[in-house]
Amino acid sequence: MSYHTQLSRTEETETESTGSPFAPHTEADVEAMLRAVDAESVEELFDVPNSVRFDGEFGIEAASEREVVRSVVETLGRNESATEFLGRGHYDHYVPSLVDHLADRSEFLTSYTQYQPEITQGFLQALFEYQSLLVELTGLEVANCSMYDAATALGEVATLSRRARSVTGDRVLVPDALRDERRAVLENYVGGTALAVEEYPTAAGVVDPDDLEDALDDDVALVYVENPTTTGLIQDRLEAVGELLAADDVLFCLGSDPIALSLLRTPASIGADAVIGDASVLGLGTAYGTSLGLFACKEEYLRQVPGRLVGASRDESGRRAYTLTLQTREQHIRRERATSNICTNQAWVALRTAIHAAVLGPDGLLDLAKECHRLPEVLARELDAIEGVSAPVRDGYHFREFRATVEPDATELVSELYAEGFAVHAIDADTIQVCVTDANENRAAELVTAITEVLD
Amino acid sequence: MDFEIPTELRYAESHEWADERTDAVRVGVSDFAQDELGDIVFVELPAEGAELGAGEEFGVLESIKAVSDIYAPVAGTVVAANEAVVDSPELVNEDPYGDGWLIEVEPAGDLEHLLDASAYEETI
Amino acid sequence: MQRHEQAVWNETSSEGYEPLLSEKDRTTIDVEFEELPDELTRESLELPALSEPEVARHYTRLSQMNYGIDSGPYPLGSCTMKYNPKFTEDVAARSEAAVHPDRPEEAVQGTLQLYHELQEYLGRIGGMDAVTLQPPAGAAGEFTGILVAKAYHERNGDGERRSEVIVPSSAHGTNFASAAMAGYDVVELPGDDDGRVDLEALRSAVGEETAALMLTNPNTLGLFERDIEEIASVVHDAGGLLYYDGANLNALLGRARPGDMGFDIMHYNVHKTFATPHGGGGPGAGPIGVTEELEPFLPSPQVEARNGTYELVEPEHSIGKVHGAMGNWLVLLKTHAYIRRLGDAGLRDTSAKAVLNANYLASQIDLEIPFGPFHHEFVASAGERDAAEFAKRMLDYGVHPPTTKWPEIVPEALMTEPTEAESKTTLDQLAAAFNAVADEDEETIAAAPETTSARYIDQTSAARSPRLSWHALSDDA
Repeated sequence: MSYHTQLSRTEETETESTGSPFAPHTEADVEAMLRAVDAESVEELFDVPNSVRFDGEFGIEAASEREVVRSVVETLGRNESATEFLGRGHYDHYVPSLVDHLADRSEFLTSYTQYQPEITQGFLQALFEYQSLLVELTGLEVANCSMYDAATALGEVATLSRRARSVTGDRVLVPDALRDERRAVLENYVGGTALAVEEYPTAAGVVDPDDLEDALDDDVALVYVENPTTTGLIQDRLEAVGELLAADDVLFCLGSDPIALSLLRTPASIGADAVIGDASVLGLGTAYGTSLGLFACKEEYLRQVPGRLVGASRDESGRRAYTLTLQTREQHIRRERATSNICTNQAWVALRTAIHAAVLGPDGLLDLAKECHRLPEVLARELDAIEGVSAPVRDGYHFREFRATVEPDATELVSELYAEGFAVHAIDADTIQVCVTDANENRAAELVTAITEVLD
Repeated sequence: MDFEIPTELRYAESHEWADERTDAVRVGVSDFAQDELGDIVFVELPAEGAELGAGEEFGVLESIKAVSDIYAPVAGTVVAANEAVVDSPELVNEDPYGDGWLIEVEPAGDLEHLLDASAYEETI
Repeated sequence: MQRHEQAVWNETSSEGYEPLLSEKDRTTIDVEFEELPDELTRESLELPALSEPEVARHYTRLSQMNYGIDSGPYPLGSCTMKYNPKFTEDVAARSEAAVHPDRPEEAVQGTLQLYHELQEYLGRIGGMDAVTLQPPAGAAGEFTGILVAKAYHERNGDGERRSEVIVPSSAHGTNFASAAMAGYDVVELPGDDDGRVDLEALRSAVGEETAALMLTNPNTLGLFERDIEEIASVVHDAGGLLYYDGANLNALLGRARPGDMGFDIMHYNVHKTFATPHGGGGPGAGPIGVTEELEPFLPSPQVEARNGTYELVEPEHSIGKVHGAMGNWLVLLKTHAYIRRLGDAGLRDTSAKAVLNANYLASQIDLEIPFGPFHHEFVASAGERDAAEFAKRMLDYGVHPPTTKWPEIVPEALMTEPTEAESKTTLDQLAAAFNAVADEDEETIAAAPETTSARYIDQTSAARSPRLSWHALSDDA
């Protein structure tokens, strides 16, 4: 009871507020505790020289929960409301309500990394199931239980290629259509090694094996290919790429996501050694870039895998149990020779992804992936019919998104569409990119109307 | 605790043993070293033909909570790596001087710089 | 003595464990899609196909086989496991927050305003001139900070020569790994007999090769580095930079600031210090703060305020990017709301109660605590007992055990951080658990835990024969 009394007192007399609402001490507690440690005041317990003590104020005023929620929500309200037809590596899909309700159970949400596996079997099993999902989708034998995002996962694959004994060379080849952000992160990850990042030419991200072959030499350590591409196209010559890169000393990494992988050729079947990507397309959505880095690879690279791995074992009574395993790869044991510095990862997002996949099941996942092909084909066809827009549906096979050529200025068109409540990408002076999924397809007809009117 | 230290072997202070009674010098880690590490779960060894300098790191032993480099007690060329311990790392714990041997080296020098059993015993 | 019985689902399956989704159902479907050529699609997909009610029960059961800070005390040293107020979750779940990262800046003024405010708050709290929120975790913050130091030295024409980062032997493993990832040679600095930085050893370690010294303060023993100003001048005189690992910032909130101690770069573990839930291992966020001199090297973009509008700006000599977007925004948003809720007084009270709780708990347990005076955490020794086994037995008393066997300077270490969020009653319960285990015989301790979902788990066989997916369990009973 004293706890509630103290809380209400804090709220009623703001000027006398002296404490954290989440520190449950009564004054009597504090006195008793000080007596127990033989101190007159809490200040005495700080062994901090006067010269570096801080006596100032931060100027941050405490507020009640109600006030904070109101204020933050009001500020968020300054974000323009718009229906987003945005993609380019960050995708929204409808997330079933069950995902929130289960993932928010506080036994999951408020737990730490599973350093005591006996008392955290639930999360470990969920992560094991997440790894299993990725193994099924990629066809590769190993998946870790998360990286931060696709960009950092790409950086980790590059440094793995450096460590893997079978891989030689100093050049990392990435498509010229790679998102700038992914390239920039990759540059920083390889900055501490002898690796250099170079581009190979593509047709809007689609690889021509002959062009790739021209860019290859003995010094290439890693080739990265995205499927689908940042431009929304499905690669149609991956088998030839795989054959080209079949030599042991080049690592072939494919960039993808769990929804695309439910429909498209498995990376294993085209000879990929590793897969990275954004797995939060299931379970979270774009969330201003809060993400989940997918990381999977062949078993031969197991000892070089960055991040955490959950493995199955048995407990003393002989029952199956799960535990973090192969931890000697990690920073807390191997320190400067660890496979990565990653410690805290995106475990809770991985839990959400696993739950979303479980709700969908194989049929639901496949149906969703098929929609990701049909919806852009339909919308592109409709936009192509507008005068001043050319959206060639036959330039390739689309997944979620496509590019369209427009006149007049694309940037102008995009900002006028914003005014109408629609967000699309402006790529250059005469190109826009439009992404359509189950999350926004209900507004696609209105987008067509808006574009028609703006261009009219 | 008593550790087995066969008198017919020579030892490095970093706990590797060398046996020159075979054609090539056979190398492993001592009973003390395997006990310190605990249950060994992974062994990484060099390829045949690798050239090693004396004291050069040639492989890794991993337990659950520790990683230990292993150093060549003698310079030379690796002529054999024990595939059995790669498949069954527990052999290093169970039989460090027997089936748990690690590599065989065609030596480029002698073993005079290494400790004998009694001198090694004093170091542990 | 309180005991804690965790869900053990042996009553639901003959196997004696909660079956995997794939063991409840495994359905293979043929992938047929006439709209794409066959060679572009996979042949089949084999995944569990369960109804929604079955999925709900599956994960509810798994949650009952898990332990969080809402289940009970979680005094993992160095991890700062404190109560997470729920309203921050609601704020982060708002649809207005879930915007696409490619929205133009004028369309996300609300989000950018909150970014900017949090940059400001963290700058004031750490005493730093500029803050980036981009690093998605503490280790990513370290990596970013070291990249900033590297860019700074390179800009000064000093990049080649300054090839070393100095790290105390007691530091978090991430410090070593982050410095190595950035391409530095790591020089390990031994501690002194009191558990602090050995100034003489530091003087001989620094030189014209030194790029930076990474330091945690209070250190991993909970001790404040009293000589911090001297340490700073030794490093600065040699032309190096001083990096602050923010893992232990909870101890100092509102009482001392890294910027005032002479640190040039710091990271904040906002998921520790500012109560954004740890989610079973993440996501976190690892913003870094820097001095004015280093601001031009921060990652791109920074959020700047100009006449009431917020802009994305590329710093002049930016290191580029360390995350594909703007970091873990949802975590940052929760951090913002939490800091606002506490305000100055709450933040100051946080460190007061965190330090009081650690000192009180230490005074109530019958184990040796060799170093002091400590602050928010202490490292007790399990003495003759194995610290890992000691910890397993604590599970049976309904508490999460401390961090074990680290730092190594304390034999059989039990690194304990109760945080401010535990009441005296809970601390007494925790102390009783420590003391009960300390009095138990070896046999009882070795047999633990008895009351958790799984008994003692065999780590060795898990590592010797890794089975990392349900595909590897097909023949498993």
